[in-house]
Amino acid sequence: MSASDLPILLPAYGEILLLVLASAILLVDLFLPERLRGLTHWLSLATLAACFVLTVQVVRATGGQAAYTFGGMFVADLMANVLKLVVYAAVAAVLVYSRRYLAERGMLRGEFFVLALFATLGMAVMISANHMLALYLGLELMSLCVYSMVALNRDSATSTEAAMKYFVLGALASGLLLYGMSMLYGATGTLDLTQMAQVIAVGQVNGVVLVFGLVFVVAGLSFKLGVVPFHMWIPDVYHGAPNAMTLFISTAPKLAAFAMAVRMLVNGLIDLAGDWQQMLVVMAVLSMALGNFAAIAQTNIKRMLAYSTISHMGFMLLGLLAGVVGGNRFSAPDAYSAAMFYTVVYVLMSLGSFGMVLALSRAGFEAEELDDYRGLNQRDPWLAFLMLLLMFALAGVPPTVGFYAKLAVIDAVIKAGQIWLAVVAVLLSLVGAFYYLRVVKLMYFDEPRDAGPIAPGRDVRWLLSANGLAMLVLGVMPGSLMALCLVAVQGLYPLAR
Amino acid sequence: MTIELLVFYVFAALLAFAGLRVITARNPVHAALFLVLAFFTAAAIWMLLRAEFLAIALVLVYVGAVMVLFLFVVMMLDINLDRLREGFWRYLPLGAAVGVLVVFEMALVVVAKYYASGTLPMPADPGPGYSNTKALGRLLYTDYVYPFELAAVLLLVAIVAAIALTMRRRKDTKYQDPARQAAVKRRDRVRLVSMPAEKKE
Amino acid sequence: MLENYFPVLMFIAVGLVLGGVLLAVGRILAPHKPDPKKLSPYECGFEAFEDARMKFDVRYYLVAILFILFDLEIAFLFPWAVVIPDIGFFGYAAMMVFLAILVVGFVYEWKKGALEWE
Repeated sequence: MSASDLPILLPAYGEILLLVLASAILLVDLFLPERLRGLTHWLSLATLAACFVLTVQVVRATGGQAAYTFGGMFVADLMANVLKLVVYAAVAAVLVYSRRYLAERGMLRGEFFVLALFATLGMAVMISANHMLALYLGLELMSLCVYSMVALNRDSATSTEAAMKYFVLGALASGLLLYGMSMLYGATGTLDLTQMAQVIAVGQVNGVVLVFGLVFVVAGLSFKLGVVPFHMWIPDVYHGAPNAMTLFISTAPKLAAFAMAVRMLVNGLIDLAGDWQQMLVVMAVLSMALGNFAAIAQTNIKRMLAYSTISHMGFMLLGLLAGVVGGNRFSAPDAYSAAMFYTVVYVLMSLGSFGMVLALSRAGFEAEELDDYRGLNQRDPWLAFLMLLLMFALAGVPPTVGFYAKLAVIDAVIKAGQIWLAVVAVLLSLVGAFYYLRVVKLMYFDEPRDAGPIAPGRDVRWLLSANGLAMLVLGVMPGSLMALCLVAVQGLYPLAR
Repeated sequence: MTIELLVFYVFAALLAFAGLRVITARNPVHAALFLVLAFFTAAAIWMLLRAEFLAIALVLVYVGAVMVLFLFVVMMLDINLDRLREGFWRYLPLGAAVGVLVVFEMALVVVAKYYASGTLPMPADPGPGYSNTKALGRLLYTDYVYPFELAAVLLLVAIVAAIALTMRRRKDTKYQDPARQAAVKRRDRVRLVSMPAEKKE
Repeated sequence: MLENYFPVLMFIAVGLVLGGVLLAVGRILAPHKPDPKKLSPYECGFEAFEDARMKFDVRYYLVAILFILFDLEIAFLFPWAVVIPDIGFFGYAAMMVFLAILVVGFVYEWKKGALEWE
């Protein structure tokens, strides 16, 4: 080896900066006195902002072309960069929303910010992985941070239990994933996703081994996405974790899980689409059914939103499974971009609705029960209006962006010729609309039960307003985001012309 | 070749026995010790596969460190054996079903034509001078440098998480600070007081 | 390659045989007359008060897990030390970055006081 073999670092500048700054924050926080803890918060936000800007610069420098480095293990294509930008923004929003909540509960420790930043790094690694080893390491990096964030409130038995469940089931899913990866490696002789796709395309690969590997990989994947039948952890973890951690796990990791699904299934295994699309059909239908029906029975808003996550992820899968029709990839960019658009929009909706839970909580009080939202309109009309927008978006009511996201996915499903699947999806979304609109009814037509002060702080109020209004603005003008998703997906290796 | 095969079967039988005892042993400490045996025999099998570095790492890391942690945890938990066995029969059907399914799937893969013994050529013995560790090292620090650095980040996160979750300052400990002990000067401890002699009454 | 490890196999075999023989000899030759009093656990002449297993402080766990983490780090150093003439400056730098990341963790645990046994 000589110096000329040094890998090109440019595509990975964002990750390198994130690693360096997160380590620096870890050290700086050690030497900060307790009263300056807020500085860690601002440093973390500055780090995310810097990574955001740098990633934009990387896109400029590469001209949106896919750039590979580290021996092809790392890819910075447009999809990766766009998803990373959304992840940085989402994590920054999480930090802003949760600061007061954590401070009031004595959890505003430097470790929270450092773990959040390292989890972000893990997500970025996952999003940019073009090699199963890198994908797995990114996944573990993210998961390890998230497990410990859930358990960070050590004196709470429910958080510890949630963390324990999350960890044990997560370890099981990682085991399934690794088992699947090792079978795929055995069948194709490579872990590099690009090479794997080439080996499979040539043929000469044992189908049985490949399909068994695929089954295990999809099982591991569906755990991370939280879709039926690997959804059991979602309600318990969402419910048991402190609200700030619930906000975190329900947002940015979904983008990483989406990227992981695309990297594995589309980049690596698109020639097996006939096999994995069938699995996704089953998982999508079951998730939408279970998520929407179980959410109706909930009285706790965190649990309700947890079941809603399951149904939304099921809906997102509809986009992924509509890409390849009879071995034909012509409609794939439309379908995958619809799924990507749906995921990004879901993350925005989830940020807003869990952010609202945090904004209404105060010291010694968690706004977790649906009853706590009764008469919110009389107590704070603006927040009630924002929550109305968010609930409408989650339900898919026009003109909010939730409607457009659902429309794009269903359009892709119909184009793929799966009419019955589209009908089922629409019917189950109607079921789902019931419990979102119930929240709206509670806010506007019931008398308040809770008379405590609502003081979310100015920064949170501004951010929540932006977040809620984005539902409306994106709903009226979805074109640019949709176009961005389409260009991003068209840059994927197997779809590039 | 035949000796190698014989050694393999001995270790494989031991491994299967140890694995079985891990889950059937009544005493959790015994189960943990059987797990040590399982790791040892697995290391021996890896050695037979010519993965010498991995075999030694398995002994060093798993037997040396991970199992110590296991034993600590087993002791720390103060497990009530009877409560542990509660619901064994209730969960048995589901567990057995999953187990049979996994065995079936593995059998399907192992017996399938692709992996059946004899279809893949036996790698040639590279001779006594060959070092598996070197081959691994040449790849790990150059071609696989990206996962290698990610592993460092994972270890860093593990350090942070372990400390954040288990470190507590205890207030009731009688802790002696050696630095302060060593820094003590005579005047901190002894005070010479000059007193006028007093008469006895 | 495997013949290099033949002494290890012999060592294991001899160890097993010797250990088994010694136990068997003791079993066969020594007098063996158990009675309930001989077999009962002994605690300063009293009946045993409680189970021998007791709860450990969680601090032991912290020490053990930090040991594992640095043990793993050492495991990465072995192959590096073997191949350092072959991998040149790049491989050297790769390990330095690896160690630098872990030094951050080391500083953290030192400053936090996780290495102190108060």
